[in-house]
Parts: sequence; structure tokens; C-alpha cells
Amino acid sequence: MNPDRTLEGDWHPGRVPENVTLEEGAYLETTYSLLLCRSVEPDAMRIGKGTSIYLGTMFDLGPGGRVHIGRCTLINGARIQCEASVEIGDFCLISWNVLIMDCERLATDPVARRAALSLVSSRPGRLLERQVPGRPVRIRQNVWLGFDCCVLPGVEIGEGSVVGARSVVTRDVPPYTVVVGNPARPVRILEPGGPVPPEILALVAS
Amino acid sequence: MSSSHPASSSPWSHGPLPSNVIVGDNTLITAEYAFRRFQSREPGALRIGAHCTMDGVHFAIGAEGRVGIGDYCYFTNVILLCELELQIGSYVAIGWNTTIADSDFHPLDPAQRIADAVACSPLGASRARPAIPRRAVLIEDDVWIGPCATILKGVRLGAGCRVQAGSLVTRDVPAGASVGGNPAHPLEGRDDGGEGPSPSAGGKPATDAP
Repeated sequence: MNPDRTLEGDWHPGRVPENVTLEEGAYLETTYSLLLCRSVEPDAMRIGKGTSIYLGTMFDLGPGGRVHIGRCTLINGARIQCEASVEIGDFCLISWNVLIMDCERLATDPVARRAALSLVSSRPGRLLERQVPGRPVRIRQNVWLGFDCCVLPGVEIGEGSVVGARSVVTRDVPPYTVVVGNPARPVRILEPGGPVPPEILALVAS
Repeated sequence: MSSSHPASSSPWSHGPLPSNVIVGDNTLITAEYAFRRFQSREPGALRIGAHCTMDGVHFAIGAEGRVGIGDYCYFTNVILLCELELQIGSYVAIGWNTTIADSDFHPLDPAQRIADAVACSPLGASRARPAIPRRAVLIEDDVWIGPCATILKGVRLGAGCRVQAGSLVTRDVPAGASVGGNPAHPLEGRDDGGEGPSPSAGGKPATDAP
């Protein structure tokens, strides 16, 4: 990141907001990914050391949203819709068109939804405000999310687990488990690989 | 459909709207590509009511397609694929990357599919494509469709129903119901995908009012 908070080689004329931290060696391809980040939290976003966020990724954060991403994680075009908290661990692989959401924003009651939809057309920017509280999403370290999959509000995905392409994760996934389908269900248990090797820990240490 | 009349200011900032598109007051259409695949020749092919937000919507409407959208609708990056008819009510909210289609675009029968593949190829430019089944999609007032959902041809979504993110809907959903999964099944008052169909779930209102 440049001293004026622009990004080297960015095609979008944006800046990284003050409440977004890019740790050393983190790569954010374009500030366009932050266009929908309207969080007013002091520590709204953190992108860990060596993590890369490529084109097509959108951080759609409401005023109280917080997205913290660990180290050496790869996000290759996901949409993160956050009103409370989305935590993503170290060494995660997140594929294209993945949706991670901690809030559906609109109320389940149709009468309440009408109220929000009546208001939004008169609001500048026309962004929906949440009517229901967010339910934090946690994705632990070493998780792989296949392309086009959805992670729904309140879900925790355990360390080392894998979500197959186009799956919809509606409930917690235990560690080292492969889940697939809609709704996603476990199909395989993986062998835990043991502790992260010391040379890798040294590489990502701050 | 109600109160469709030309907007006072331009609802779309990327040139003139196609002449058979009628847009109500205070409705906004974003994205340069909105009409890139708009081919309908029907008069009034696309009618959108007032106070709608059509953010990044693809209006991929074929030569004979007709789409009606009510008032106060809110769509984000929705792909509308229409060869016949999509009718959408008022106060309908549809999340990011959802697709709605009223056709399968190709025939099911293998021999017909060969004929279609040839007709679609540069070698078959003069050949007519075989008939392809189309069935209108009807989405009633107050429906909520989550992101990444798919709604297939012939489906009617009853008033106030909810479609969970990532669902693929192949059958009608009763008014007030909540569905999820692939294929979408009624959710039993939970928001977690459920365990498949349950005998009591048809038509049961899913609003979890206290």
C-alpha cells in the first residue's frame, strides 16, 4: 500500500479506508473490492500477512461489520456479506463466486421487509440496512472452500475442512471433514496433518 | 404490475433504454451490461414499476420474452433469463448472483438436441432451432430470494415466501413458506437446510413471529 493508501497498479481510483489494515506482504488487487465496505468499526478489516485478495472479491460490510482474515490465505473472487463478524483463519483457500454471509439483512416477516424496501429507494447509494442481527461466521485455519459455495449465517467451519464446489453450508462443519451438497453433509474425514511446520510458522510470524 | 409510467429522469446512465422498456418513477438500473442480452421485440417487453433498485441485473430477454416487475423491488446482480414470461410482484427482494429462468434453452430429447446443436453452430445458420419448452415463472408480492439461488421454469413462488441462499427451486412454493436446498424443500421453522421434505411443511407460514 502506498503512503496515500492507494494501491500500486490499481485500476480503480480508490483508497484503503483507515479502518482497514493490510499486514506486511498482504496483497489486495484492487480497492474496488472495498467499494461496499461501509463499516464504521475502528478495526473493521484486517488482511493478514501474505494473504492475497484477487479481483472479483467484494467486501460488503454494514456499519457494524468486521472481517478479519488470517495469514497466507487466498481469496479468489468471493462475496463477503457481513453485518457482525466474519473470521477467516490462516492458510485458507477460497475459490471464485463463493458467498460468505453472516446476515440476511431483511426480516423474516414480510410486513417488516416491506418497510425496509420502501425506505431503501429514497436512500443515497440504495444500500439495505440490516433489520436482523448478524450471526458471526468463523472459518478456521486450513479450510478450503470450493467454487460457487455458500456459507450461511452462524456457521463455523472447523480447521482443515473442505467444502465441495457449489455446496451450501447451513450448519457447523467439524474439523478435518469434507462436506458436499445442498445442504452440505459430511462425506469424508481427513487425516489431520499435524502441527504447522516451524519454517512456515517462521515465515508468517510478524 | 402497477403504476408503470416513464421516469422523469433517466433510470439508466448508459445510454437510451430499449424502446420497449417501460420504467416507473424513481426506479434505478445500474450496470452497462444490463441490456447486453436484451433481444425482445415484444411491445412493452420489460415493465418495471416505481421505486425499484435493479443493481447489476442482467435482463437477458429473448425475442418473445416479456418481464413484468412491480414496485419497490430490490435486486442485486440477478440474472433474468426469459424466453416467455416472468411476472414478479411488488416488494420482492432478490440477492446477489441469483438466476431465474423460464426455459431450459435446449430440448431434452437427444435427437432434438443434436438438431439444436447444429442450428446453434456457425454451420447451421439457416436452420431453425427445434421447439423448446418454456413455462412462465410467477413470483408473488413480498417474496425474499437469497443470494446464489436458482429458480427454474414453471415455478410459482407464493406471496411472502422465502428462498434460502444457494437453493435450487424446481417446484411451486406455497405462500408464506420457507424453502432451501437442492432441490429446494420446505424448512421446518429452521434456517439450516433441514433434512428434506416433511409431511407438515406444505403451506405452513414460516414467519417466526414471537
